[in-house]
Amino acid sequence: MGYGRSDSYRVATTQDKVDKSPKKKKGAKDMDDLKKEVPITEHKMSIEEVCRKFQTDIVQGLTNAKAAEYLIRDGPNALTPPPTTPEWVKFCRQLFGGFSVLLWTGAILCFLAYAIQAATEDDPAGDNLYLGIVLTAVVVITGCFSYFQEAKSSKIMESFKNMVPQQALVIREGEKVQINAEEVVGGDLVEVKGGDRIPADIRVVSAHGCKVDNSSLTGESEPQSRSPDCTHDNPLETRNVAFFSTNCVEGTARGIVICTGDRTVMGRIATLTSGLETGKTPIAKEIEHFIHIITGVAVFLGVTFFILAIVLGYSWLEAVIFLIGIIVANVPEGLLATVTVCLTLTAKRMAKKNCLVKNLEAVETLGSTSTICSDKTGTLTQNRMTVAHMWFDNQIHEADTTEDQSGERGRGRRVPLFDKSSVTWLSLARIAGLCNRAQFKAGQDALPILKRDVAGDASESALLKCIELCCGSVRASRDRNKKVAEIPFNSTNKYQLSVHETEDVNDNRYLLVMKGAPERILDRCSTILLQGKEQPMDEELKESFQNAYMELGGLGERVLGFCHVMLPEDQYPKGFAFDTEDVNFQTDNLCFVGLMSMIDPPRAAVPDAVGKCRSAGIKVIMVTGDHPITAKAIAKGVGIISEGNETVEDIAARLNIPVSQVNPRDAKACVIHGTDLKDLSQDQMDDILRNHTEIVFARTSPQQKLIIVEGCQRLGAIVAVTGDGVNDSPALKKADIGVAMGISGSDVSKQAADMILLDDNFASIVTGVEEGRLIFDNLKKSIAYTLTSNIPEITPFLLFIIVNIPLPLGTITILCIDLGTDMVPAISLAYETAESDIMKRQPRNPFRDKLVNERLISIAYGQIGMIQALGGFFAYFVILAENGFLPTRLVGIRLNWDDRSCNDLEDSYGQQWTYEQRKIVEFTCHTAFFVSIVVVQWADVIICKTRRNSVFQQGMRNKILIFGLFEETALAAFLSYCPGMDVALRMYPLKPSWWFCAFPYSFLIFVYDEVRKLLLRRNPGGWVERETYY
Amino acid sequence: MDLVVLVAFSSWLAPTLASVADEDKDYDSAFHYDYESLRIGGLVVAVLLFIMGIALIVTRKCTCSNSDKSRPRGPDVESAVPKDS
Repeated sequence: MGYGRSDSYRVATTQDKVDKSPKKKKGAKDMDDLKKEVPITEHKMSIEEVCRKFQTDIVQGLTNAKAAEYLIRDGPNALTPPPTTPEWVKFCRQLFGGFSVLLWTGAILCFLAYAIQAATEDDPAGDNLYLGIVLTAVVVITGCFSYFQEAKSSKIMESFKNMVPQQALVIREGEKVQINAEEVVGGDLVEVKGGDRIPADIRVVSAHGCKVDNSSLTGESEPQSRSPDCTHDNPLETRNVAFFSTNCVEGTARGIVICTGDRTVMGRIATLTSGLETGKTPIAKEIEHFIHIITGVAVFLGVTFFILAIVLGYSWLEAVIFLIGIIVANVPEGLLATVTVCLTLTAKRMAKKNCLVKNLEAVETLGSTSTICSDKTGTLTQNRMTVAHMWFDNQIHEADTTEDQSGERGRGRRVPLFDKSSVTWLSLARIAGLCNRAQFKAGQDALPILKRDVAGDASESALLKCIELCCGSVRASRDRNKKVAEIPFNSTNKYQLSVHETEDVNDNRYLLVMKGAPERILDRCSTILLQGKEQPMDEELKESFQNAYMELGGLGERVLGFCHVMLPEDQYPKGFAFDTEDVNFQTDNLCFVGLMSMIDPPRAAVPDAVGKCRSAGIKVIMVTGDHPITAKAIAKGVGIISEGNETVEDIAARLNIPVSQVNPRDAKACVIHGTDLKDLSQDQMDDILRNHTEIVFARTSPQQKLIIVEGCQRLGAIVAVTGDGVNDSPALKKADIGVAMGISGSDVSKQAADMILLDDNFASIVTGVEEGRLIFDNLKKSIAYTLTSNIPEITPFLLFIIVNIPLPLGTITILCIDLGTDMVPAISLAYETAESDIMKRQPRNPFRDKLVNERLISIAYGQIGMIQALGGFFAYFVILAENGFLPTRLVGIRLNWDDRSCNDLEDSYGQQWTYEQRKIVEFTCHTAFFVSIVVVQWADVIICKTRRNSVFQQGMRNKILIFGLFEETALAAFLSYCPGMDVALRMYPLKPSWWFCAFPYSFLIFVYDEVRKLLLRRNPGGWVERETYY
Repeated sequence: MDLVVLVAFSSWLAPTLASVADEDKDYDSAFHYDYESLRIGGLVVAVLLFIMGIALIVTRKCTCSNSDKSRPRGPDVESAVPKDS
């Protein structure tokens, strides 16, 4: 954000570097401005007016002087790159973001405590220093890890740049010159031809069969023709404007440049996309909430014991060190690494299932998603026109539109096959094959027909493929019926015809075939082919034609009519010169054969995926640039508008009443047109999003897509957007999670997205939702597990302060638990399978269902943690008692115990202990306490496997978890028994019996939690669930 | 699994218990404990546990890669070969 786009409009671009402060203020306003509709008005002006506005000439073009002047005024015709964040800033964000803050604070406090100790004591204990260093190391290592993991770069602007045309043909001072596209200025007269990229937004002044591919801008699959007349108020829909960086597919056109660079429609999208600020991911918010809780607990404990220490008569400095010690002890050192690794593992797992996650935190987002806004073209549909229906022999036939021609349409439905032997069908197929200019590109015979590339427009290609599939080689048929004459399609005729020789060598007649707009074709026909016989066209047949036409049109399909006639030999003998300019042959009294209708059909996996999203409580909204009828048809086809649900218009039509009389509350579904959307107020918009469950937005501009996403977010929804085009990119960026298509998606959309579906399969989203929900649950378990051991780690220090016993657990041993033994079991919980069908429950409510809540803290700290602490202390007292220090002797012994000069400390039996001997016993106790925590954590990891089910229901199939149990025990034994550990980490070998001190407590934890979960399952919604279900 | 752990523990207990039993005759000698064999026994157990854990993971990897290979291939094969109607 923060670069004034509209400023540079008025002043030269060199201004860019001058004052940055006023720009920042304007940043917000500019973004609002960008979100508004395109301010182009030139399409409504006459050509003369446009010329006057830019002081240009319709024939001569701009003068060179004028062009140079404009170039200085407007700047080059290029997209301004956004200010890029340097790599080190990104790295620092990883280093100081989210969870790391907690650890940094801990580290700083540690150094502070050490500094105090160093200043006051002669021989300060190094514990705090080590702890500080370890904490720093943990943050830095994890920071590096996630930095390299993500390594995502916001190269959005660069991918836009790739779309920019390099050269442009302009007319200046009456001469055609080829110049760099960057030098094109407003008012330039530009010529484009088929295959070119449009160099700027141009107002077409003349065109010859010009068609442009606007799919990157509007999402329409088929090329749009361009002509000089204004056909629509909306600049995006009118025929006389062609847009920057769209492709001219065929024909030629000449136009006046009306916008250049960032001011073009595409430039606005680019600026909008790269300027959008995205909020925090849901998981980041949860972690923040977690940090608040942990900090709260830590500060509360710290301050309480600080006061207690003062009351007990410690000095201020000692109390401060205790305060810091307690706060730091609350920091779960290993959790940052655990969370990062868990998310990474899920990301890897999703990548295996073809969901590539660019941002680690986005792994969970799909799981929280409550609304999916999906683009239609290319996401829900295959983005290729396909013949869907045919009408011949007075009957509608369905064609197979599935991607693999399997006939499967999801939910077990199959396409009924039609009779391919009908003579009418053969005639229809022949017309469709002959009256067709599309052809397969060379050298693709090995490929399956549907995968071959076709040269020609979308609907002709669809016909070609359909015929090739059903009736064999079209080329052979064309060879047999040599083309004699042809009139290509144009918008005034609305038909295309060609004249062919017949297959039969002895038959000297010519065959005339014609296809075009059905009503035009019907007007030219006097007979109709039924079951292979020509019959006169009567009113009844005309009506049935009308019905079929209406029905197919109502399905959002593009309908073409086909007819043919055998030209009589006496009028058109062999060698007759057909003149296509001045038509000298019969073009009426033809024989109508049938209709074929085409649509961009939905992908096979989509209906099931939409159904699964529904049952998972996720609202699926279609947002498309395409026409409402087509959009609605596809929405119905894929189940976004489910069967039986009606829109207001449907109800009105069914009850035969005006739309205004229908209660909008009755209609669950609704289809909203982009132009209506423009006039809606924010409240009306909220109203629609809240009250309709099945919504289709049609004819939406990229800006409107963004507004829709923002509307959903305003209502508290977590929004996922799927899309593949440039027009989706602002919405993709703004969404909580943008999902782009890996194969068909444009680079821009992939850059703006957080997740990429590598196989373009919408169904992968369902996988994403499932994995996201699973990892959320498992992170809860992992955190519950990790936090539990905090209590047995803190309580020794607290008792050390309050009752003055020798320290039961040292800093090093705490670190061994947090960063050593606890790690693998905590991570292994990420591999836990779901307890129930997570796709059957509602998405979590981000305000209510938190990752870490009070109940989790109460279970971990208040219940299980306390039992663990008891286990640890039991081992501690057992060892000291075996050595002669009975618990009663220990209370208040601390000052003497830690006194180096006291070498004759007596135990309960009167034995005297030197300082060094005492310390060995103390460190043996540390080791025993440590081992006891490992033992009770066995039980903890097993109870944390499930939140509601019993372990016996869940089973122990998680092998990583069993591995974790083995490894933590092995590590504990290693630390205790490895020679040299007494010097390195001050850990001593334990007698075997001391291992078993904590076993009863471990068992107690298991039983306690099983009983709790049993009660929880027995009384759903009861006290136990309300108070302890995390 | 717990059974295995128990067995491991008891086998490691036996020699040290025996050594303790040997020594409790002379009450006046200085307290002595055989830390050497304890250390060795402990390390052996640690290594055993470690190897068992690794073995578990390795066997898991095998079954995992097998099932992974078979699963995605199924649908791929179907979609790669279109059935011409």
